[in-house]
Amino acid sequence: MGTQVKDVIIKPDAPSSLLLDKHADYIAAYGSKKDDYEYTLSEYLRMSGIYWGLTVMDLMAQLPRMNRPEIVDFIKSCQHECGGLSASIGHDPHLLYTLSAVQILCLYDSVDALDVDKVVEYIKGLQQEDGSFAGDKWGEIDTRFSFCAVATLALLGKMDKINVDKAVEFILSCMNFDGGFGCRPGSESHAGQIYCCAGFLSLTGQLHQVNADLLGWWLCERQLPSGGLNGRPEKLPDVCYSWWVLASLKIIGRIHWIDKAKLRSFILACQDEETGGFADRPGDMVDPFHTLFGIAGLSLLGDEQIKPVNPVLCMPEDVLQRVRLQPDILS
Amino acid sequence: MAESEEEVDVLVQRVVKDITNAFKRNPNIDEIGVIPCPEARYNRSPIVLVENKLGVESWCVKFLLPYVHNKLLLYRQRKHWLEREALADITCTLLLLNPDFTTAWNVRKELLQCGVLNPEKDLYLGQLALTKFPKSPETWIHRRWVLQQILGQCSAADRSKKRQQGDAEQGDAERGVAERRDAEQGDAGRGGAERGDTERGDAERSQQLSEHLARTLHQEMKVCSDAACRYPSNYNAWSHRIWVLQHMGQGNVKVLHDELSSMRLWVSMHVSDHSGFHYRQFLLKALITELSQTPASTSSPQQRCSTAPSSSSLHHSQANGELSEGEAATDEEWQLSANTVLQLFHQEMELCSDLIQSFPGHETLWSHRRHVFYLWHHWRREQQQQQQKGSTNGESRSGVLSSNGDPAPPTLSAQSSACGGGGVNGQGHAAQAMEVDGVSLPDPRDSKRLKTGVRPPSPPALPSEPSFVSGFLDGCCNPEQRRFALAYKKWLDTVIGQQP
Ligand SMILES: [Zn+2]
Repeated sequence: MGTQVKDVIIKPDAPSSLLLDKHADYIAAYGSKKDDYEYTLSEYLRMSGIYWGLTVMDLMAQLPRMNRPEIVDFIKSCQHECGGLSASIGHDPHLLYTLSAVQILCLYDSVDALDVDKVVEYIKGLQQEDGSFAGDKWGEIDTRFSFCAVATLALLGKMDKINVDKAVEFILSCMNFDGGFGCRPGSESHAGQIYCCAGFLSLTGQLHQVNADLLGWWLCERQLPSGGLNGRPEKLPDVCYSWWVLASLKIIGRIHWIDKAKLRSFILACQDEETGGFADRPGDMVDPFHTLFGIAGLSLLGDEQIKPVNPVLCMPEDVLQRVRLQPDILS
Repeated sequence: MAESEEEVDVLVQRVVKDITNAFKRNPNIDEIGVIPCPEARYNRSPIVLVENKLGVESWCVKFLLPYVHNKLLLYRQRKHWLEREALADITCTLLLLNPDFTTAWNVRKELLQCGVLNPEKDLYLGQLALTKFPKSPETWIHRRWVLQQILGQCSAADRSKKRQQGDAEQGDAERGVAERRDAEQGDAGRGGAERGDTERGDAERSQQLSEHLARTLHQEMKVCSDAACRYPSNYNAWSHRIWVLQHMGQGNVKVLHDELSSMRLWVSMHVSDHSGFHYRQFLLKALITELSQTPASTSSPQQRCSTAPSSSSLHHSQANGELSEGEAATDEEWQLSANTVLQLFHQEMELCSDLIQSFPGHETLWSHRRHVFYLWHHWRREQQQQQQKGSTNGESRSGVLSSNGDPAPPTLSAQSSACGGGGVNGQGHAAQAMEVDGVSLPDPRDSKRLKTGVRPPSPPALPSEPSFVSGFLDGCCNPEQRRFALAYKKWLDTVIGQQP
């Protein structure tokens, strides 16, 4: 049995320069196809979809092209009695969409469109005795939800409303021998979960608890010969995992451990020259999700055509300055 | 083809009914799928049932999904009333087409809570959705919620039974223990059919409960395996499997052993599946923890087949004043346990070596080696610390480590077979060494040392890992294999080498 390295080969004619205008057009047009079957299929995560679209537009300095009053009204109508927000009207509230909604309102500098006290009560009510957070009232536990809780509270300046020590304790109980983190204690390390846990420890001022060399080692091993990063061993490279790994490396001060030039060419190769937007891998279908993480990754790699992005919250740095939030970064 | 809104309504209602009837007609449907078929043909239903497979013709999905989607959302906004039966049918269709629609699962949770649906049926619906969407996070999340309900019911039944018995026949001290134990289980939201060793009256009911949970656990493992086969390195499937063991099989050494042996073949056939190997690491770690904590009751796995948390049995024996008796038995038991652990490590490292040689260039296998070695390194260090403690206060808990404490047998050093060849032999060897039923006899060399209590002359070193690695470093080796071997060597030198 021969060896097949699980990777992609970047063709010589793959895009190698950044097509900013095409991407802005792609995102601006995306929201107008509301009768689309695909659009219905993804309604259960609509709030996050709007966050991806608006954030990438803001990073490209194109936010004014989006319909602000319509979006703010939509968000208002997604806040429930309990204080939490849902992905769309008629869906149930969840921490995932509560964070997305608050992120969007920060981009628009209009957090007061929400009943903020109720949002805080909602989040507080989801913390468990062991410090973990349930995603909603049905009780599923995941380190992602811990991140959603503290990220939302940090943006609202209300971190003191929860038991931070206990919350930290739970996150640390999900740390593995390789320095990474999984979704629950004992679960496998996963780049997406690592991003959430590193971001969580940054926002709570606990980054010294990370074994940065060990974790940095694992994260660097995600880079494949094509330059792209995967999320776990023997998985294919992917633009979204490239962001999660890269942002985690930035947070723990080890971004210089990977080959930045090669990663840049991998991300650029994932653009669609005709439609605009980024795909997970070269040649695949584009979507707003990978478009945000493609642009955000290029920003972290230092592309000056894009606004600087914050690695912890995946939002423009200027927005975080406005809300006076400066999450820790290891040097 | 339907076009007007009314026509679509009629069509879709009929299709939803057809799906419901298909399940009534055949309760053994085991897979769902979409049949590529761009246009409606004749006047027949787009729902096709062939043997145990349920198919939906693709042309109707674009009508069906938006319809059930909007119906449910209107209901959720209290703009449109739906009967419970209709709600069950609509969410079923919706979730088979779009299983990450969280709110639809939530509606079913409410129907479960008021008794319209039963937990087993919902586990079945999720199982079907996973045949087409094996990663679907919301489907796995819903399963965990349903399993919690089943555990809660069992725990409540167990508790009321105990209370009756406690009043009737147990003394004060005993009752205190039982209540404390129950309270613990209640807090954790998990039930457990206890072994029923102290009870006589309701033994049968307890037995039923425990069998029901064992069946559910077994079925859950099967669902995880299916999903793992359908999508490689399926994080959600494997982390669910870990959750199931943590909540339904905690402290159950037999289940851990069974899982470890059944996974052996699976990982050998999926050498790129990092999640599958992680699960094996989880099992090893859990087994070692169990064997190190409660050797007296765990060294014979067959003795413990309850789903009760291990801590409760500890509480129990302590409170009954059995501690000294247990302690007296432990020296032998400790040695046996340590020996079993040593065997587990030997077998795992041997399996890992064989796979690395037979399937060169797989990062997953090298990553597995790191983890197993790391577990072994820590276990050995703890054993040494206990030995030192034992020798300072004159106890005899010694000799648990053989002088050749390294789990990788020296004969497996890779020079001969690293560059191809020998792989097939390595496989055969692994098959011979495979445990029959999860328990295997200790290496005779080790048990001889254990019985005579020979103390190792000095703490065991790590000679064989460097020699294992060196076999892959010469020029004739597969370049990927060489790269992974080098990274492993560096990991040994820095991560393990720098530890106190
Ligand atoms: Zn992706």
